[in-house]
Amino acid sequence: MHEIKISRRVFIGATAYIVSAPLLASIFSSKNQIHKIVDNGQFFNAKELTILTDIAEIMIPKTDTPGATDVNVSSVLDGLMVTWAGEKTKQQYRYIISQLDSIAQATYQQTYSHLALSIRQKLIVELDKTAFDKQNTALSKSYRKLKEMIFHVYYTSELTNPDFVLIPGGYRGDITKNELTAIQKRGYL
Amino acid sequence: MNQYNQTKTNDEYDVIVVGSGITGGWAAKEFCEKGYKTLVIERGRHLDHPSSEYNDMKAPWQLDNMGLAPEELTEQGRYSQLRAKKGVLKSDSIQFFVDDKEFPYSHPKERPFMWTRGYQLGGRSITWGRQVLRWGAKDFAANAKDGHGVAWPIGYEDLAPWYDYVESYIGVSANKDGLDVLPDGVFQTPWEMSSAEKHIAKKWAEHYSDRHLIIGRSANLTEPSALQTGLGRGKCQARSYCQRGCTFGAYFSSLSATLPSAKKTGNLTVVTDAIASTVDYDEQTGKASGITVIDAKTKKQRSYKARVVFLCASALASVQIMLNSKSKTFPNGIANSSGAVGHYIMDHFMGVFAKADVLGLEDKYSYGRRPIATYVPNYRHEKTEDVDFIRGYGFQATAGSRPNSGTTAKSVGIGAQAKNAAKQAKPWQFKALMYGETLPYFDNKASLHPTKTDQWGIPQLHIDAKIGENERKMIKQAAADIEEMLKVAGCSNIKISQADLEKHFTLGKRTHEMGGACMGSNPATSVLNKWAQSHDVENLFVTDGACMSSCATQNPSLTYMAITARAADYAAKLMRTGKL
Repeated sequence: MHEIKISRRVFIGATAYIVSAPLLASIFSSKNQIHKIVDNGQFFNAKELTILTDIAEIMIPKTDTPGATDVNVSSVLDGLMVTWAGEKTKQQYRYIISQLDSIAQATYQQTYSHLALSIRQKLIVELDKTAFDKQNTALSKSYRKLKEMIFHVYYTSELTNPDFVLIPGGYRGDITKNELTAIQKRGYL
Repeated sequence: MNQYNQTKTNDEYDVIVVGSGITGGWAAKEFCEKGYKTLVIERGRHLDHPSSEYNDMKAPWQLDNMGLAPEELTEQGRYSQLRAKKGVLKSDSIQFFVDDKEFPYSHPKERPFMWTRGYQLGGRSITWGRQVLRWGAKDFAANAKDGHGVAWPIGYEDLAPWYDYVESYIGVSANKDGLDVLPDGVFQTPWEMSSAEKHIAKKWAEHYSDRHLIIGRSANLTEPSALQTGLGRGKCQARSYCQRGCTFGAYFSSLSATLPSAKKTGNLTVVTDAIASTVDYDEQTGKASGITVIDAKTKKQRSYKARVVFLCASALASVQIMLNSKSKTFPNGIANSSGAVGHYIMDHFMGVFAKADVLGLEDKYSYGRRPIATYVPNYRHEKTEDVDFIRGYGFQATAGSRPNSGTTAKSVGIGAQAKNAAKQAKPWQFKALMYGETLPYFDNKASLHPTKTDQWGIPQLHIDAKIGENERKMIKQAAADIEEMLKVAGCSNIKISQADLEKHFTLGKRTHEMGGACMGSNPATSVLNKWAQSHDVENLFVTDGACMSSCATQNPSLTYMAITARAADYAAKLMRTGKL
């Protein structure tokens, strides 16, 4: 039998696999439209992943293009906590997730995941405004860092870059929209 | 798998080349092709070409950590200089850069210097900028004209045939622009300018006689020659992932071109993980006898002997080796009777960044990722009445593709509305970065730290360099110039950022560090003669950036390569006639 050694580089590379893998088994609650994650992740526990998945989807909802859940933002982020995140980031992400639950409890006397979707959306919108308005608080710093990473994961994903061409084959710097569309359609210059 | 011959104990070579980067590769190729047994010593690890370390065939979502460098590096204080170089420290290419915590160097606390290194076979030729610009006659004449630094012992005419020779081999895509300040050469098809760049170039041509926007001159193949395809190199695919390594060999590097050429001759031997510690000097013969290395892994010392030694380790690394090579004759470092080794350290300085919208071209788009920017050659060689500085500056600029509106990742806004507004096409935007010529100041120097050593016991290099009043005056004028030029081009939303002239300006950021063993005619004031050959030790040549007597404003690698090929040709003639 061959001995298999998994290098750190290969291990980190596994993140790419996670992006397209169907991860995070969940139960969808039709009552308040939340995906309740069933299992713990590599870093976040199931409860944290439930909140994280919901925050990401509220930030970047499915419209006529994929939403954060469609591109597995929370599961990719969970993997990145192991391969990318430093200690401070890990603390900040856990902190902001726990704070959301605390805010929900204090304001609505319910855990975050029991709130109605409209309430959760209001809460995140308010948090977004406050975080950029008062940037020196721990809450703001943690929220802004989490938001930045959710956006990075989403906008770097394959599903959100349908026009990306790894090997363009050449460069044209002075073309019309129609010419560009035609090139993209045939896939080569 | 190591693709090159391995060294044997007590082997003797005709030539030892220290360094396998852009000049080391050239020295190796030239000597091997002329029939000389050549040993290349590289301090970094072996790297194949193409390499499994290249990440050029990965989409953004396939990169380690979605392209981000692990945060633990920051927490551990690693790669601090590279992190300061915004946008460079990424997971797609971090393996080709050196961690300054693991490989420290020194600088005054209040005057940081940025020394970017790449310890692998091929050195920094894997990650270089590929902008290949000839120097003009005025650049070589500058020191003699204004009295700064040491006058160049060569002029443009001396180097012109060697520029031809190098360009023919490496492949340069460029336009023949007919400018004295930036002589034309042997070019392949140029990259196209974008509609915005064409617009600006046209406006400037209408308004100015001395300021030109031209397409960059790039060492990316657009019409590969038979020689280039014979080396397995292919046409550039406009991915602009050059810094990740190129599986197609479309941009020139030692790995894709010169080392394979050298290998074909059967005369090349490469040793990696071998840190050149000293150039060994024979008091009897008055010549360099070879190189002593420290094995990077075992830390054991060993020596190699040769008739001729070429230092091509990169400007500062070669200076470090020279200063560390002490003997009875040269107590302050080999070939240093002048005391000039380590002095006249230079780099290009930026100081001004400008951006502006180019309106009216909203129906125009681009396709592909062009691997080179546009360029504004130095138009300030001659001191005019309206300015109070000498030398000059140019700009590296680009509007290669339409920008988009970005996202609200770092600003207020979430939900469907923010998402729908994200990444929408914006008007063309033109960006320009000043490239100024730093004068060759004797006091800008690299020396061996008196107490600090690296993990192999080699004294750390202490680099102390700063810009002077001349450079500060240039920054002020460059800011005014580019603002005027953007207005002339009819640009909107012009934004000019100028460096704080009261603060230290960190040199080394352009990775164009030069000087330290300058060429000159007088052995009392310079280290090397017109062949980049030591005045003191006739079989020692230094042909990397250390040999430069001034830095002009052009990216220097093409000139390093031309100087190396010329020096190798000269050294080979001396060897053939028994003079070396």
